[in-house]
Amino acid sequence: MSTNLLALLPELVLTITGVLVMVLEPVIPAGKSRKPLGWLAILGSLLSGLAAFYQLQIVNAQGTLTAFYSTIQIDPFSIFFHLLIAAVVLVTLLGSLDYFESPITHAGEYFALVLFGAVGMMFMTSSVELLMVFIGLEISSISTYILAGFRKGRATASESSIKYFLLGSFATAFFLYGVALIYGATGSTSIGPIAAGLAITRTPTMAILAVAMVLIGLGFKVSAAPFHVWTPDVYQGAPAPVVGLMSTAPKAAAFAVLLRFLFNGTPMLHGHWILLIEILAVASMCLGNLGALKQHDVKRLLAYSSIAHAGYLLVAFTGTHQNAVAGACFYTATYAAMNVGAFLVLSQLSGFSERIRSIEDFTGLALKRPGMSALLGFFLLSLIGIPFTGGFFGKFYVFSGALQNGHVWLGIVGLANSGVACFYYLRLLAAIYSRPTSDSVAYIPVRKVTAPAAVALAATALATLGLGILPNKLVHLVERATPTTTAAVAVQPTQQ
Amino acid sequence: MTPLNLFLLLSALLFSIGLAGALTRRNAILVLIGIELMLNAANINLIAFWRFGPNPEALTGVMFAIFSISVAAAEAAVGLAIILAVYRHNKTTNLNQIDTLKG
Amino acid sequence: MNAFPWLSLLTALPVVGAGVVLVAGARSDRAARFLSVGFAVGALCIALLLWHGFDVNVGGMQLVEQHAWVPALHIQYHLGIDGLGLSMLLLSAIVTLISLGASWKIEDRVPLYFALILLVEACLFGAFTALNFIHWFTFWELCLIPAFFLIKIWGGPRRTPAATQFLVYTMAGSVAMLLSFLAMYLAANTFEFEELATIAQSGRLLPSLAASSSWMHLTPEHLGLVIFAGVFLGFAVKVPVIPFHTWLPDTYAEAPTGTTILLTGAMSKMGLYGFLRILVPIFAPQMQSVLTPLLWMAVATVVLGSLSAMAQTDLKRIFAYSSINHLGYCLLGIFAAVRYAGSDAQLLTQRAAALSGTMLQMFNHGITAATIFWFVAILETRSGGARELSDFGGLRRNAPVLAGMMGIALFSSLGLPGLNGFISEFLIFKGAFPLATWATALCTIGLLITAVFILNVIQRVFSGPLQERHSNFLDLSGKEQMLLAPAIALMFLLGLDPQILLSHLNATVLQLTNTIKF
Repeated sequence: MSTNLLALLPELVLTITGVLVMVLEPVIPAGKSRKPLGWLAILGSLLSGLAAFYQLQIVNAQGTLTAFYSTIQIDPFSIFFHLLIAAVVLVTLLGSLDYFESPITHAGEYFALVLFGAVGMMFMTSSVELLMVFIGLEISSISTYILAGFRKGRATASESSIKYFLLGSFATAFFLYGVALIYGATGSTSIGPIAAGLAITRTPTMAILAVAMVLIGLGFKVSAAPFHVWTPDVYQGAPAPVVGLMSTAPKAAAFAVLLRFLFNGTPMLHGHWILLIEILAVASMCLGNLGALKQHDVKRLLAYSSIAHAGYLLVAFTGTHQNAVAGACFYTATYAAMNVGAFLVLSQLSGFSERIRSIEDFTGLALKRPGMSALLGFFLLSLIGIPFTGGFFGKFYVFSGALQNGHVWLGIVGLANSGVACFYYLRLLAAIYSRPTSDSVAYIPVRKVTAPAAVALAATALATLGLGILPNKLVHLVERATPTTTAAVAVQPTQQ
Repeated sequence: MTPLNLFLLLSALLFSIGLAGALTRRNAILVLIGIELMLNAANINLIAFWRFGPNPEALTGVMFAIFSISVAAAEAAVGLAIILAVYRHNKTTNLNQIDTLKG
Repeated sequence: MNAFPWLSLLTALPVVGAGVVLVAGARSDRAARFLSVGFAVGALCIALLLWHGFDVNVGGMQLVEQHAWVPALHIQYHLGIDGLGLSMLLLSAIVTLISLGASWKIEDRVPLYFALILLVEACLFGAFTALNFIHWFTFWELCLIPAFFLIKIWGGPRRTPAATQFLVYTMAGSVAMLLSFLAMYLAANTFEFEELATIAQSGRLLPSLAASSSWMHLTPEHLGLVIFAGVFLGFAVKVPVIPFHTWLPDTYAEAPTGTTILLTGAMSKMGLYGFLRILVPIFAPQMQSVLTPLLWMAVATVVLGSLSAMAQTDLKRIFAYSSINHLGYCLLGIFAAVRYAGSDAQLLTQRAAALSGTMLQMFNHGITAATIFWFVAILETRSGGARELSDFGGLRRNAPVLAGMMGIALFSSLGLPGLNGFISEFLIFKGAFPLATWATALCTIGLLITAVFILNVIQRVFSGPLQERHSNFLDLSGKEQMLLAPAIALMFLLGLDPQILLSHLNATVLQLTNTIKF
């Protein structure tokens, strides 16, 4: 296998599976269950995860792989995110296999779109050329725009979809404009040459503006305040398993791009963008947590919580390069585990129809579904950051990195915020364990969880717990994940 | 004023017009048009920087513009489809009237 | 005995127990109750075994277990006990049993309730044995979760705000503490309590703190105070020290009585344990520099605690405030001990008296308060949930044994010589008086008020005319007497021969006394 193909293996596997799913879809007669397609997609994401793992072995032995005229760089950093994205997709697919109430005809598209979205996200994390980043960003965004409106036939679904689409493309325009400016300032759109070009640029102001615009663009994608307004609406209207996916995987990819772009591409401007990052971080934490306090809809509440968590993640960026990468990677992984888990529980409880929505609807859930309540409670505790959960170590890691680099205020604001966050997570938790049972809980079926969903739930719960008790393995991985700018990147694609 | 500056000015104007349109218009289609203007402003920038930059032999800028145009087209297609779906439900594309999602 | 991980076993046992109770108790509530008691007795046996095997001549840590946990962040799995830790383990084991006994009549979701109690016990064991900050903090925080659910699910009518208040207050304190420890970690590169203490006592902590976190241009001294304030806040909320006590009365009153027993008997000791294990060895100079406010806080805790108790009419609230009052004496002892630096013989003796009094008081208060709340639970069940003083009266006529036994517990709380409360309070006052005369003198007011409100309780509940609805109020059954007798016996035993406990505490007290040098 040529090195080129090897470097693209996980993406290739996903693309082929996605196309297969689309091709096989019409073959299945209408009215028949689309589950086999789901299993195919699950197999594909599993294989792509294995492919990423295989890449890790190769990279460990031979060093960084590159492809597409060095616009793709496979290093431990990108492999970490590949594994993470593959895992999130796998768990989401497992959890949503039985999500559709009746064998609806377009379920096949759902599985294909999830896979295609993952391809885009993976490209974002492994490319060191902003053009590839842009394409990856668009692939992932377009897939998620459609997925957000997947509960067809409901007004909220298309509303969620259009809000996501309009604000997402809006953000893309900012990103693209920023890229154009950085191209003007440095003469390149590759991470390595950008760093080199910045050293001799005659238009530093334009470069700063460019970085700011890229930050705005990606800030939208990670739902960092003040670019977060779309998040609650979109999360509320989108199907629960999709929210689990899109609140973690695309965000992880966008954070990976930010890490590479800021630390490897524009280290010269560190003094400028660190200020912006601090503002974004503080705004996200405060607005996210304060906003969540007065929410009634559980999905909206978790949307605000995800804004706050984007803030905690941005705090990681204030550490040194290595600390930032390690902290952000670790936090992304723990956040993915607990948040996907929480949304999986929601989707299991409320089903495709999403009859139970508000906190009041959850009153007394524990009496009817003790197991599910315990799981949801566990994920909520992890989101709070209680020890023995991944959330604790994630926060600990991030804040110690920030403090170490002298950002004491940020640490104080962050920890104070996680105190505030207690309130609203506890409100939900308290409702679950209250009496008497609300009328809405009656809608919740007492059915057994299907095997695939049980596997998905167990995987997220174990990951959350494992990261809380034995974070050592992952700490090792992320501590050496700091991406470097290899010399090979400096080669322009068009000069070949 | 150098030609590059003129182009940059043009693209900045276009971006601002697009931004203003996207922020103030309440019709989904017009918002989409505003966003397209912003995207195209970026494309003008890319091409101008390529044409007047120190290294026009490397086709980075123009390549980027070509990709961004095609990708934006795909995005617009999806966007229009979504707007259609919204219209089918609400019989309107006015964003002010599409506000069932609330806290 | 050193090779065997006794302490890990002790912590793991209740966790296993909780699992077993949940699974095996699903069928029959009776099985859940007996199984949980079985595991708690098992834990008590291990604690007694540790007590027996403990080398009383060693002041340092014994039964140490140390393994790497997250080497990259200097987090270790590090366990060990000294006299203080050992006495707290024993106390936790006993209080858990009392709590289980007092919770016998819980009918709703029995297996879950008893499993949660066992989880609290496990967290207590974990926190009292951990010697690495993160390891310790894990249990410190985790303890809140089962306690939160115990209050939230089985509490009184206002349980939801009470549970939330309890958790949020304690969390806020913990957050401040975590920040302080992060700062110290960055300065000293360690989370080990003993290493931090060594570094602090050699005077290296402040300079490296100033070097690592030059925050707001504070001088090293002020920076040290800020860091100290963070850690202090965490413990002060937990004890609680007035003015950080506002969560306590609601929480104690709303929690099911079995849980209140755990909260007051054992969890409040976590805060004091933190004072002795962390604040005194690491922050003695900082404590000394703000000693006057600290002493005022101790006086406020003692005097206002007892005054508030006097103003209450709800039995649980009375004893909630009484708890605050009694722990105030411990604060007095601790603060007085760090008042003067130096190591002349007389000072050391006074300091040792204050500190051993404090440790003894922690143990005694745990036993006494737990027993009193057990009696409150008994009164509550027999009167159909009534807890107001005016609901009772003249019970001595119908229930002489109950009146007698509860009277003994109350007199122990009052500090009657011959019972356990007296000796520890006496030691604290004896040690603290020469060290912090004015504060000790003011605290004697607290003693007086305590006597007043406790005698008032005895009179209102047991004397006077018998109320109509209590005409067939049952006395303690033989079984109940059997269960309560050991607790009462323990009060006499410790009151008449405190040496049993002191012998195990002496070496630790001596070591602690010598660390206050600065």
